[in-house]
Amino acid sequence: MNAYRDQYAQLFRLGRNVVLIAISADPDTALASWARDSEFPFLMASDRDLTVGRAYGALAPRPGLTNRNLFVVGPDGRIAWRAVPFREVDPQAYVELGQAIARIVPSDTAAGNR
Amino acid sequence: MRRYIIAGFALAGLCAAVSTATAQQPGVSQNPPPLEIGAVAPDFTLPGATRFGVLRDPVRLSDFRGKTVVLAFFFRARTRG
Repeated sequence: MNAYRDQYAQLFRLGRNVVLIAISADPDTALASWARDSEFPFLMASDRDLTVGRAYGALAPRPGLTNRNLFVVGPDGRIAWRAVPFREVDPQAYVELGQAIARIVPSDTAAGNR
Repeated sequence: MRRYIIAGFALAGLCAAVSTATAQQPGVSQNPPPLEIGAVAPDFTLPGATRFGVLRDPVRLSDFRGKTVVLAFFFRARTRG
């Protein structure tokens, strides 16, 4: 998550039309506490009963946890790109994610932010 | 001494890789596979949080319709992944 925070400005330079939601099975209080301590600039969501992890296919082999899969949902509500798993500590993973986002976000939005 | 430490890490890495591979064999794990590109992203409503605290209103995917939403699952708070 620290790498997400550090890469955030670059990844989300396209502004309010791109949103990051980080999801785990931790309770929301634990996520808020961690977000405060690490100054995360993004949204976090608590998937306590793993309903969402199961729906997306993001459950870890070990019971009770989500894994590191990442999905980009396009403006049409469909999965536009995915990284299974996302290699959070690999800089190249962020390059690929950034490129995928740039391809997905409508071109008029991208142009407007240049 | 360093050689033993490196060997220890290598052994731990090997064990982790083996256990992960075992867990992902068909029949051993019943975890659904990741959604494919093109699939409709299931809507959800979850308690949310930011650095400013827990959110009063839940986070709902459909609230972001028309935007590009990156859903980044991770293992556990305060760990690397």
